[in-house]
Amino acid sequence: MSILRFHLNDRPIEDAEVPPTTTLLNYLRQRAHLTGTKEGCAEGDCGACTVVVLDAETDPAAPRFRAVNACLMFVPMVQGRRVYTIEGLRQNGALHPAQAAMVERLGSQCGYCTPGVVMAAFEACYREDLHEPWQLDDQMCGNLCRCTGYRPIRDAVHMVAGTCPEDLFKRRRAEATPAALEFVRASAGRCYMQPTSLAALWAAIAERPQARLVCGGTDLALLVTQRYQDLPELIALEGVPELRGVGRAADGWFEIGATTTLTDLEAACMGPLRPLTPLLRILRYFASRQIKHRATVGGNLCNASPIGDLAPALIALGAQVVLRSAAGARTLPLEQFFLAYRKTALQPGEVLAAVRVPEPSPGARMAAYKVSKRRELDISAVAAGLYVETCPEGLVTEVRAAFGGMAATPARARGLEAALRGKPWTEATVEAALPALAGDFKPMTDHRGSAWFRGQVAENLVRGFYLETAATPRPDLPPRPAATVRLEVVP
Amino acid sequence: MTTHVGERVSRVDGRAKVTGKARYAAEHAAPDLVHGFVIGSAVARGTITRIDASQALALPGVLQVFTHENAPRLARGDKRWRDELAPPGSPFRPLQDAEIRWSGQPIALVVADSLELARHAASLVRVEVAPAPHETDLEAHRERAYKPPPHERPSVTPPSRGSADKAFARAPVRVQAEYRVPVEHHNPMEPFATTVVVDEDGTLTVYDKTQGVQNVQSYLTTIFGAEAGEIRVLAPFVGGAFGSGLRPQYQVVLAVLAARQLQRSVRVALTRQQMFTIGHRPTTWQRLSLAATRDGALAAAIHEAVAETSRFEDYSETVVDWTGLMYRCDNVRFAHEVVALDLFTPMDMRAPGAMWGVYALECAMDELAVALAVDPLELRLINYAEHDGNEKRPYSSKELRACYHQAAERFGWSQRDPEPRSMRDGDLLVGWGMATGAWESTQRKASARAVLTADGRLAVASATEDIGTGTYTAMTQIAADALGLPLERVTFKLGDSALASAPVEGGSFTVASVGSAVDAVCRELRSKLLKLAQQLEGSPLARLRPEDVEFIGGLLRARADPSRALTFAEVLHRAGIDHLADEVTTRPSKAHEKYSRYTHSAAFAEVKVDPELGTIRVTRVVTAIAGGRVINPKTAESQVIGSVVWGIGAALQEHSVIDHALGRFITHNLADYHVPVHADVPDIEVILVEERDEIVNALGAKGLGEIGVVAVAPAIANAVWHATGKRIRELPITLDKLL
Ligand SMILES: Cc1cc2nc3c(=O)[nH]c(=O)nc-3n(C[C@H](O)[C@H](O)[C@H](O)COP(=O)(O)OP(=O)(O)OC[C@H]3O[C@@H](n4cnc5c(N)ncnc54)[C@H](O)[C@@H]3O)c2cc1C
Ligand code: FES
Ligand code: FES
Repeated sequence: MSILRFHLNDRPIEDAEVPPTTTLLNYLRQRAHLTGTKEGCAEGDCGACTVVVLDAETDPAAPRFRAVNACLMFVPMVQGRRVYTIEGLRQNGALHPAQAAMVERLGSQCGYCTPGVVMAAFEACYREDLHEPWQLDDQMCGNLCRCTGYRPIRDAVHMVAGTCPEDLFKRRRAEATPAALEFVRASAGRCYMQPTSLAALWAAIAERPQARLVCGGTDLALLVTQRYQDLPELIALEGVPELRGVGRAADGWFEIGATTTLTDLEAACMGPLRPLTPLLRILRYFASRQIKHRATVGGNLCNASPIGDLAPALIALGAQVVLRSAAGARTLPLEQFFLAYRKTALQPGEVLAAVRVPEPSPGARMAAYKVSKRRELDISAVAAGLYVETCPEGLVTEVRAAFGGMAATPARARGLEAALRGKPWTEATVEAALPALAGDFKPMTDHRGSAWFRGQVAENLVRGFYLETAATPRPDLPPRPAATVRLEVVP
Repeated sequence: MTTHVGERVSRVDGRAKVTGKARYAAEHAAPDLVHGFVIGSAVARGTITRIDASQALALPGVLQVFTHENAPRLARGDKRWRDELAPPGSPFRPLQDAEIRWSGQPIALVVADSLELARHAASLVRVEVAPAPHETDLEAHRERAYKPPPHERPSVTPPSRGSADKAFARAPVRVQAEYRVPVEHHNPMEPFATTVVVDEDGTLTVYDKTQGVQNVQSYLTTIFGAEAGEIRVLAPFVGGAFGSGLRPQYQVVLAVLAARQLQRSVRVALTRQQMFTIGHRPTTWQRLSLAATRDGALAAAIHEAVAETSRFEDYSETVVDWTGLMYRCDNVRFAHEVVALDLFTPMDMRAPGAMWGVYALECAMDELAVALAVDPLELRLINYAEHDGNEKRPYSSKELRACYHQAAERFGWSQRDPEPRSMRDGDLLVGWGMATGAWESTQRKASARAVLTADGRLAVASATEDIGTGTYTAMTQIAADALGLPLERVTFKLGDSALASAPVEGGSFTVASVGSAVDAVCRELRSKLLKLAQQLEGSPLARLRPEDVEFIGGLLRARADPSRALTFAEVLHRAGIDHLADEVTTRPSKAHEKYSRYTHSAAFAEVKVDPELGTIRVTRVVTAIAGGRVINPKTAESQVIGSVVWGIGAALQEHSVIDHALGRFITHNLADYHVPVHADVPDIEVILVEERDEIVNALGAKGLGEIGVVAVAPAIANAVWHATGKRIRELPITLDKLL
């Protein structure tokens, strides 16, 4: 029977009592009486609950701070780790640079968002991968502020981002070694198990066949914080190293472990996965940095939301999913993974282990799009992944057009694809093929958009894709007008 | 002499806020604290027929489930339930009867040892309701509109003048258009919450999220029939409110009720979803009819509005008045009505009334400019009002012309091509729009108490609030200057109902009202101190006239000879007293009645629109504000930037969508109720125009909390027209409306 063990602001915590589905936020505010961390929504939308976790497990060679939403984390998710809150930033009474900058730049008015903002800025302080202005917007986009109009916050974050002060926190990060994530709390009808090997995972699943799987928890925790559901049995996947990380298989396909977080995927897309640019485009408009630090590729696909953002892009890239159980593994094209509204092909005992993506052929045209009312931090009205290969004569030889928000599952537009296949890749072909979309989908009307609007947007996305890829088959990242401030990262 | 007023001072409470030390209503500790969780009605109208809480009560750790059946009967009569800001009507009384008046109305409070348990127990309470048909659609029920009874505030619609309809019919150039605006919710980042601490002697210390501790205190005392000393209300920090904290919210009643019944300390915090069950900015229909002569002079202006209120209170705001006030026009007709719907009573929300009224007027002015083929700014200058046409009196000051000129210049307005769809940035359509803003500047009666102690420190206090507006800082600055002290030696205390009385913190009148009281009480101490000093034996300051003595750095000093000086501490010490104290109440001067007192603004906005997807981005806003004397440019600018971003939200994002079949808001979280995020914020330039005003108050300050928001939404709407050629007369302007 595990005891919950972690370091809170460098003080060791041991707790054998706390129910495992207590959120880290409630733990901090109610049990640890650290009320500096705020609750603004309890659903990942506002960032008031931002705290920082030191993660040495994902890449032991490069430990990093991750700003995360405490409201969507069950306490065992910090097992073995170091957690920092606003109360832990001062050293010998002196404000941390992230705090001092907020005072100086008047980054707070009512102050309620401030601790979360400071913690997001704290992560930014120690980031060494800040190269482009949009990255700072992305860093801060999960922190809502109703008072300041953000500009003072932006100025403050700008002062400290990437400065990597030589301080205790930097030392802690340098010294960090992978934590013991294992956690098992089980009794009749209730359990929370976080195994740390594939073998232990299969054993746990065999022991508790009714248990729900959880990874980042950014979807699942909402059942507790918003629907007040009791989740009696949970098995957590994030401790299993075999399910994490990106690489290249022997057959040359890219392999993305299911528990890879979206920030890690994003980093990989700027490195080894660079050929998969459409993913990077989508990730830039996906949730917030805090969410992406926890949200995983597998969780996004298994959640099987019709408006999940990764599926259309991955389907367009020709991705497959690898489903594993104690008995073995099987592989499916991603589009066959989605059976119906929020229903996947996973069988009892199976987990999604990895996503496989072929290297796009050199001349292929591809792009992904997300259209939402608010550009950042919003759920898609329509998402699309589009991929076209042509032969030297200019005829379309391969086409995959996948959409989210248009049907009960992410799905391919088979009619549209058929109308394009074998035709010359021209504007006239596209215009002639577009009416087929109306046969492919009967989208619904809700507050994110009317059926008519969705249909229109889907068409315009295909048009836009044609125009965008006419000149460069793989348009790079979309122009993302970022902050008006310039980014001068101090080395 | 060093002064702090007018300087870019950092917030005195900044450190508490960045370290997590600032405690908000839900964060005050108490021994044996229990938690209450509110159950809201799932239907919009009906009668509760049965509540079965047996399953919840069976859980160990659940203390009580309060419902209308077992809650104590509180005060009788509407009058006693009316708080300082209640509109006419019959205020809602939580758990006092079986009637359901709106969806989300609190119908039970579950109290348990832990929050999680209370929440879980709440899910086990079975409620049976006999539903009744509800009406939540303003448009569908406009025929039921009626003229609301006058409110004590200035929301009595001014009389119409001239003969607007005839003049309109005869004028050569006319525009008439209808504008629709949605319900908005304040959504401060801190949800409403109350922690009631039961003290040993049975008195209650109520930590509440409110904009008026004394309003809440007297409301609670009255409805619970308590003695004045029995309940004390504190709100040292408030995580934003924007008007939502002007009236006591239902959770404070529930928390006090539970604490009194159980004799335990209780906390009740609302969830973000429950934040959509309280007051909101009312959805409003408007029709503007403007007519002009060929040279652009307004010949007639008719402003009609129909807004929503609840079935039980007649809430109304100042929507139409602006049309008779902001421009010169002899023929003006107003019509302002409300429709009672099955929703909670609307509430003041940042720039109530002006937000919607000025939006419609300023869009109509833009349409008129197009019809006349004159530049929109030119049209405003042609019709510039030197006097307030509604009240027929002069303005105490009005530097709006300077606002127009300075902001237009900075924005580069003269480069605008008037043709819509004429300006581009690559594939994007670029649009430029502008608008005018106005907001009232008032002063209310307020008191402040100040104590100067022998160690040379000054403590000033008043029962006002700081909801993020910078009251702590501004009052510290004002007090420090009045006595020539450095900021570090001055503390300002607020947010405690036991302090000297102050009005609620709202309407941008805090600096004018409480600031005046603080200034006055400190000046009072100043004269007392001087008198004491001069009475000392062998005083170096003897016989000097007050104007010949300066107060600087904790010293009294002869201006002519700096060697003749005494420290404050010396004076008190030698006079044999350990402190000097006083309390002063200030009121608006008589001159007030002879003048109209307003702040003004001009906003210029640039938008870029993707013609394929309809996505809109505001890329640039320049706004100039004339708001009298600026106490602290740093906090003032920050207030205005925040307001501009509110304007962006109103123009493009904020919308509480009602599902009329359910009678309920369905965008009831921050994922669906969009407010601007970090990356939505453009380049914003704020110009604080110099404006001297000797009439508004002794400080000459008019207040800046609201004026910044007024002109922004219409400026953006006008820019969207300029970019696309489409007039979207319904807010928010979202991509689906543009496509
Ligand atoms: C504020 C906010 C914003 C968001 N924005 C977006 C957005 O822009 N776009 C978008 O697409 N989504 C968004 N989401 C949804 C969510 O973040 C993603 O779906 C995320 O990728 C889920 O990953 P997770 O690891 O957190 O999943 P979890 O919550 O841990 O799990 C989700 C589901 O998948 C199952 N599961 C997880 N991993 C596996 C596995 N390996 N094998 C089998 N089953 C598994 C779980 O049992 C559960 O049912 C948002 C969520 C929040 C709270
Ligand atoms: S409380 Fe809003 S994101 Fe966690
Ligand atoms: S300062 Fe009030 S929410 Fe940011």
